[in-house]
Amino acid sequence: MPDPAELPLLEVENLSTGFFTEDGVVPAVDGVSFSLMRGRTLALVGESGSGKSVTAYSILRLIQPPGRITGGKILFRSARAGEIDLAALGEKSEALYKVRGGLISMIFQEPMTALSPVHSVGSQIAEAILLHRKVDKKEARRLTVEMLGQVGIAQAEMCFDQYPHELSGGMRQRVVIAMALVCRPELLIADESTTALDVTIQAQILGLIKTLQRGLGCSVLLITHDFGVVAQVADDVAVMHHGKIVEHGTVRAVLKNPQHAYTRALLEALPSRRVRVA
Amino acid sequence: MTHNPSPALSPLLSVRGLSKHFPVMSRGFRPKVTGVTKAVDDVSFDLAPGETLGLVGESGSGKTTTARCILRAIEPTAGQVLFRLPDGRTVDLASLSDRALKPLRQHAQMVFQDPFSSLNPRMTVGDIVGEPLVIHRLARGPELAERVAETLRRVGLKPEHRVRYPHAFSGGQRQRIGIARALIMRPSLIVCDEATSALDVTIQAQVLDLLKELQAEFRLTYLFVAHNLDVVRNFCDRVAVMRRGKIVELAPTARIFAAPEHPYTKLLLSAIPSSDPDVPMNFGVAEELAKLDR
Ligand SMILES: Nc1ncnc2c1ncn2[C@@H]1O[C@H](COP(=O)(O)OP(=O)(O)O)[C@@H](O)[C@H]1O
Ligand SMILES: Nc1ncnc2c1ncn2[C@@H]1O[C@H](COP(=O)(O)OP(=O)(O)O)[C@@H](O)[C@H]1O
Ligand SMILES: [Mg+2]
Ligand SMILES: [Mg+2]
Repeated sequence: MPDPAELPLLEVENLSTGFFTEDGVVPAVDGVSFSLMRGRTLALVGESGSGKSVTAYSILRLIQPPGRITGGKILFRSARAGEIDLAALGEKSEALYKVRGGLISMIFQEPMTALSPVHSVGSQIAEAILLHRKVDKKEARRLTVEMLGQVGIAQAEMCFDQYPHELSGGMRQRVVIAMALVCRPELLIADESTTALDVTIQAQILGLIKTLQRGLGCSVLLITHDFGVVAQVADDVAVMHHGKIVEHGTVRAVLKNPQHAYTRALLEALPSRRVRVA
Repeated sequence: MTHNPSPALSPLLSVRGLSKHFPVMSRGFRPKVTGVTKAVDDVSFDLAPGETLGLVGESGSGKTTTARCILRAIEPTAGQVLFRLPDGRTVDLASLSDRALKPLRQHAQMVFQDPFSSLNPRMTVGDIVGEPLVIHRLARGPELAERVAETLRRVGLKPEHRVRYPHAFSGGQRQRIGIARALIMRPSLIVCDEATSALDVTIQAQVLDLLKELQAEFRLTYLFVAHNLDVVRNFCDRVAVMRRGKIVELAPTARIFAAPEHPYTKLLLSAIPSSDPDVPMNFGVAEELAKLDR
């Protein structure tokens, strides 16, 4: 039997997710397969509508009707919970609850998706800790402040009592990252999580994700439309187009020597690579 | 380069000492003015005919406010916006009365990131593109229909599209409709405010190519406001870098990117994630910016 540590943490096999609308079925994800090794970052890149978010939502089983997973496997080999096929879990199964509650965390483009406007940011993070770890309130507060410090918030004690609207976009995204990481996830999914930020703040958040990943040893599924982000942050990349993965390889191989015509067309359209329009 | 703007030509647009201050109000039952936001703070630059000037900077740096002051969509607090009309006269758009301004508006048009957010969703594409001509009483009846059809064709849409509604169109096509609405006025200046920012790269490339073709054909001058530095590098002749309401550096595009002089420009450029994995980016740029301010 192979050493389980050498098997991918996440192995998606022939995943299909469709939306059954009045106008017919939208095959948003159409037979997608990829794998993500422990401690690595895989970027899922493609144009809008290519199926990146639906893939991520499928992994966490967040697809709502009229959408559903129509086929395939999502094997998640957790060090803490063993091997789970996420695609086969019941909606209300305890395993799914555990997965969402800390084995896999997700951060979104819009940090307010994950934050409540009426609670202080610290209390929200502490709440997450209390829910998933056996600690008392005082310890939860201490862990929260520690985590806020780890994501680079200088005045973590003060930040604890602030409300989301009092923070800048970049600060909010850090709070969300802190919240995603308090439960020590084995997999972090980041869906366009720096797309709305200025480049200088984006640089900081990307650096933070890289540093924290190394420190915590988790794997990252990085969803983006930006090949610059892919090149600077990921180890491997899968290029999506119309619900399918057209090319999959190491970042260096795919970006330096793309094999698929669609990947080449995307790269040639990048303003940084286009011949200057004159 | 097909349109090398000659410095000998007198500028189409000269912005001098432009400022826009917004009052900052206290919160509460009886708001009071507690200070000002200097959204635009003593900005000056020239724009040569046929030139494309990029205006870049982070969000909140004052790009949109600058653009809106130039077109007098809002009232500048101070400064001059000297604009050369097709008949050779130069006027100060910043100080003209509304009445004197109205007939001149056709010469300077704007293209937005989301061209329809402020329009009635029940307007057809034909209404949207033709409306400026109707407002300025420049065409009606069959002539109006003909100019709408011709302009739609020119931006790569079909004349039949005029009876449809914008929500039926993709992002790239919607942006073409926005360009048609500006182009139909035969302006000499077009201000593009994040006009391609929301588009996927392949669509963005097509829209940028269209803007270049139109520039050559109609001798257009562009003020191209964008936060994406790669796009500006590819598209503009010169670049002005804004920060906190001021232009910190203005230089030809090649020079800005190869040899930036201002420390802020250097830091901003270092934060761009290159799609070449061998060109590292500066993850620590935010901390270095904070040091710059100390
Ligand atoms: N709730 C839904 N109903 C119908 N179609 C949907 C729904 N959500 C997503 N889709 C479709 O699925 C496809 C993939 O969407 P998505 O994964 O969000 O793309 P991406 O994240 O790559 O931009 C798109 O064609 C989109 O229209
Ligand atoms: N109508 C307004 N009232 C008050 N402040 C404004 C208004 N419009 C813009 N501002 C402020 O002016 C500054 C510059 O904004 P803007 O020109 O939109 O920047 P950019 O387009 O570079 O993102 C920001 O601090 C913004 O909050
Ligand atoms: Mg998405
Ligand atoms: Mg703006």
